[in-house]
Amino acid sequence: MLSQPHLDKRFSERAGYFPISGEHLYTVLHEVEDPVGRVLLVGPFASERHKSYIPWVRWARYLADRQIEVLRYDYRGIGESTGVFEQMTFDDWMEDVRELSNWLRKRSPDVPLVLHGLELGALLAGRTFNDGVGDALLLWSPPLNANQALRRTLLRWVGLEQIFQCPDERKPASQHIRQLEMGDNLDVEGYCWSPDLWRSSFAIEMPESIVDGDIATAVYKRPVEIVTLGREASPLVKGGSVGYDEAKDFTWLFDANFGWIASALAVYGGH
Amino acid sequence: MEEQLETRELVVLEGSGVFLRGTLHKASRQDAESKTGLTERDRVGIVFLNSLSIPRASTGDSAVYWADAFAACGYPSFRFDLPGLGDTPGILATNLLDFINGGGYAAITSAKMKELVERFDLSGVVIVGHCAGVVTAVHAATSCKECKGLILMDPYFHLTKALRPKIRQILSEWARRSRIGGAISDIYDRMRDIRRTVQKGPLPKNANFPLLAHWKRVASTGLPILMFKAPGLKSPGMKPRLGEFDYLEYTLALAGHKGRVEVEFIEGTDHSFADRVGRVAVRQRATIWLSEFFPPLGLQKAAQEVPSLEDRAGDGKTEGSQLYAPPLRFEKGTETTTWM
Repeated sequence: MLSQPHLDKRFSERAGYFPISGEHLYTVLHEVEDPVGRVLLVGPFASERHKSYIPWVRWARYLADRQIEVLRYDYRGIGESTGVFEQMTFDDWMEDVRELSNWLRKRSPDVPLVLHGLELGALLAGRTFNDGVGDALLLWSPPLNANQALRRTLLRWVGLEQIFQCPDERKPASQHIRQLEMGDNLDVEGYCWSPDLWRSSFAIEMPESIVDGDIATAVYKRPVEIVTLGREASPLVKGGSVGYDEAKDFTWLFDANFGWIASALAVYGGH
Repeated sequence: MEEQLETRELVVLEGSGVFLRGTLHKASRQDAESKTGLTERDRVGIVFLNSLSIPRASTGDSAVYWADAFAACGYPSFRFDLPGLGDTPGILATNLLDFINGGGYAAITSAKMKELVERFDLSGVVIVGHCAGVVTAVHAATSCKECKGLILMDPYFHLTKALRPKIRQILSEWARRSRIGGAISDIYDRMRDIRRTVQKGPLPKNANFPLLAHWKRVASTGLPILMFKAPGLKSPGMKPRLGEFDYLEYTLALAGHKGRVEVEFIEGTDHSFADRVGRVAVRQRATIWLSEFFPPLGLQKAAQEVPSLEDRAGDGKTEGSQLYAPPLRFEKGTETTTWM
């Protein structure tokens, strides 16, 4: 049964709006006293945000309970952030990561900062890390490039759409892709994908050095971990059953990844 | 970090130690307001509930779009995450769908509506529920005198099962993908229809009886209700799939002669109403409906006269009729609305 805890004084969650280039990012800071580390959570893209939200928030709370301050946010034009989705670009979303990283870093520069991304967020976090931001990098199911992430979302959406369509009405994914390539917008789960978004997604690639954790750690001389999540991690990743998986126990995943974060922070004298 | 913008504000309802996080879309302050001297206190607020486990922005951020639109029309609009969902803390039920279908969120919703009305000096609220959110909205409305109306999107009145036996999933998939499978599925539907015709009358075994009882309590007493229906699998119009029980017809009958239920079928959208066709249609029709029952300014008195549930359950002085508004037809990709 559902129970509602009273406000836990050990940690507080501060929601706010972060001004950026004429828009506002919705942010939630899981604030802790004397943090041993900070983590910026860079979440999955657009419609994937909604599906993974509950375990993503629980992960933030899990870390905050362990003296790690967490900042999570919505991309510009998505969720609670302001802006028009179809006008946004990958450059805008990269800027979001950079600006929030800087803000989080400035709270106390001596506390190490970990960038942690999921799916498309992993790509953005990886590219930001490649630019020299962050002391450690944790990636969950990173795609090779942004187009791969978009394509996965598109395929799943097409599959869902087909459930409610007669055989004559069904369009294969290739037809939708052609629509984008021909310069038309495509409405995917309420988000208007523009041809520019699709075209530009091919160029947003994971830096070559970040394909393997050990190699990346050696190259950047900063800890890097890459984890591929399977279906058992739904709804953090695609799959599973809506209405049943939300309350799933993720201790196995959280414990293991917290262990890695703790060891990464130890490099910098934390934990 | 700022907690409010010109048009939005992050709000927390924390009465009785129960936290609820949400977003307020501030009502636009038009000239009429200063002329009439009316303030927020005279307004009806619009409250969006979660649709199953989706955060308060809803699919494709459609709830943000609608809340912006209603606020622009003068209705302060709120989107909340219920306990355990979105940004609101709380422990989720292991079986969330069954929990919601059993009205598990009704008590907290009802209590929080009272708190919201008091805190923002509202004259009442219109609760918006989508899919599983409908169940919560209907349950809550029966015990919430602050609830002055309901907007229900693609409601269901049976007990759904998210987990179906593997063999059924495979068969359904085959029926969807192959022409032979489709033909067999059609025959199956006809057989079910014949059986239903022969058995005529009783509700299906998987009907959500408590929900239907709550619906009757709410709808039959004249609470204004606007219902949106999207095309379903093999049910392109208002009628259900062949062989399935017609819950829409049944619930409208339950509303009785005092019921003020309007039903809108939106063609060309899907269950989420989050695509362009759906979101524009919902916005347009709901705005008309709101202005009819809850005029934004100056005429608010009429809205305040919508009786509370206790009053409505009384001698039935409020006259009403079962309304069937003409369905809207939307041309895909445009905002053109034509009345059929």
